[in-house]
Amino acid sequence: MDFIDVMANARYELIGEILGKSIERVSKPKSFSDLVDVVVLDKYLGIPIFLTLMWAAFQFAFSVSAPFSDAIDIFFTSAADWAKANIPNEVLASLIGDGVFGGLGFVLVFLPPIAFVFIALAILEDTGYLPRAAFVMDRAMTKVGLHGKSFIPMLLGFGCNVPAIMACRTMENEVDRKITIMVNPLMSCSARLPVYLLFAGAFFAGYEGTVIISMYLLGIILAAIMAKVIRKFFFGGEPSPLLMEMPDYSMPTVKSVLTSAWIRTQIFLKKAATILFIGAVIVWFLSVFPWDATNGGEVLENSYAALIGRAVEPIIAPLGFDWKAGVALFTGFMAKELVVGTLGILYGVESEEAIIDAIAHDFNPITALALMTITLIYLPCLATFGVLKRELGEWKLVGLIIAYELLLAYIVAAIIVGIGCFIEVM
Amino acid sequence: MRKVVALAGNPNVGKSVIFNALTGARQKVGNWPGVTVEKKEGICKYKDIEFYIVDLPGIYGFTANSIDEKIARDYILHEKPDVVVNIVDASNIERNLYLTMQLIEMEANVVVALNKMDLAKLKGYKIDVRKLSKELGLSVIPMIAVKNEGIEELKVAIYYATKHRVKPFLRYNDGVERIISAVQEKVIEHNILSNYPPRFVAIKLLEGDEEILKMANFNEEVIKQWIS
Repeated sequence: MDFIDVMANARYELIGEILGKSIERVSKPKSFSDLVDVVVLDKYLGIPIFLTLMWAAFQFAFSVSAPFSDAIDIFFTSAADWAKANIPNEVLASLIGDGVFGGLGFVLVFLPPIAFVFIALAILEDTGYLPRAAFVMDRAMTKVGLHGKSFIPMLLGFGCNVPAIMACRTMENEVDRKITIMVNPLMSCSARLPVYLLFAGAFFAGYEGTVIISMYLLGIILAAIMAKVIRKFFFGGEPSPLLMEMPDYSMPTVKSVLTSAWIRTQIFLKKAATILFIGAVIVWFLSVFPWDATNGGEVLENSYAALIGRAVEPIIAPLGFDWKAGVALFTGFMAKELVVGTLGILYGVESEEAIIDAIAHDFNPITALALMTITLIYLPCLATFGVLKRELGEWKLVGLIIAYELLLAYIVAAIIVGIGCFIEVM
Repeated sequence: MRKVVALAGNPNVGKSVIFNALTGARQKVGNWPGVTVEKKEGICKYKDIEFYIVDLPGIYGFTANSIDEKIARDYILHEKPDVVVNIVDASNIERNLYLTMQLIEMEANVVVALNKMDLAKLKGYKIDVRKLSKELGLSVIPMIAVKNEGIEELKVAIYYATKHRVKPFLRYNDGVERIISAVQEKVIEHNILSNYPPRFVAIKLLEGDEEILKMANFNEEVIKQWIS
């Protein structure tokens, strides 16, 4: 035993003696929180309960938000039609109609489900359940070489990887901190949600919640595996133990739930007004220029976008994607929502039919799953990239993240496509 | 006269509530030098003394591994505040006293603010404050800071602590004490880090604290030889 443990024991032993003389403990019936914790923190029930609650959160968000999304969709579709019909300058009409309303609007359709996911998470947070989730996951985490404290940054990663990576500063051990940072981009942030929502909605109607939660789980599992691998090959050592407190359960108030959900939703809206807007304009430009060659976006094959897409195509063609997915993944590096925004523009400018139908034509359930997986894994977005460099301090480690993520994305997608083919043959 | 008072305690013990109650509007928020951890300072006047109050980050221990713990530790060791108010959550007293033990090891002039007495009572704890104070060898002030109970008493205790420095000694079990005193003798003999309390240096060397080992220019092997 290390002396550090000997000292800890000696201190607690003395505290015990002192308290033995100065404190009387009147035995009280177990509090409500204690009783709930017996079940929630159970060795075997803990993780299933956690998964069920998360699944319920997504299913709730998905079903409640559907009518709102439809309303937004109708609004932007008609706005796009109106713009194209009424703006005399055809380039401007295309920019407003296809780029802004088509591309950005298509991303904003996912605002309601995102907001409801935030509400569900805020409820779980305010009741005091989330720290318990951390505790439950700690047992699993330390087994796979991640520190228990890393669960909080990992959980934050479901919102956005940028603050999550910064939250790793609270970790005491430098090696634990670096490993947690390096696998954090695998945690499925809310920017990936539009991609899941689009493809799960188009190909797995009725099972959206299950499909989306499995994406989140895939992220967690991959993060666990990578943490183990990175520790083994680059750092060594064992994760240090976790000390954490459990606040008592409490009834969440409507006001605090709405406030915290609103703060997070606001971030999404701000992003839509800035980087997603700029991204949509860039993608629109790439998809309709050179104007004469594409005949104002009619012949997408001749556009700059197609040029970029075709460059990526050889790599992704074996997975069953065409060049449009290539462009989407390319722009997705700016911000992951742009994967959806880009598909919206590319399919929107080409055909007048509903975008989802168009996507259903080019993808199937297997390639849809593969694309969701790639979006989950392939690269940290630009903002995450910046914060990774700042918090890790070394280009070498950032390079390592990019290398393993690209490789991992490809391998996992290939496995999915492979299994899909196998099932088809059967 | 101006005296420096540091507030130390675990996270979520009501430290900010007590800080606000003591300083009122006379406070300033900045950063600890070189890091992005928030530093709150304020002034509290009592009788002829002006307390300059510094809110240390909420921590569980004094290792040099986390930024927060390092800030708190460096402040206590280098700035040597006249009084350290250790805020203890009475409803989690066992875990909270762990920090108190370490403050005593650092020979800080500690006053314990035993906060959340109401919650402790709800949990069924009956705390004999006078006995606890005697066992620890320092002042213990029971408080319910959110209800403003005990704030005045705390000011009085801080005031007396600035006048009469306490130097409690807590004896751990014999086995541990034997090892500590063996190393402590060497620390004194070799004049190692003589501006820190020798008992604290001895414990940290034994715990293999990287920063202290580096500052003392020692490796753990030497320490092992001392105690063998």
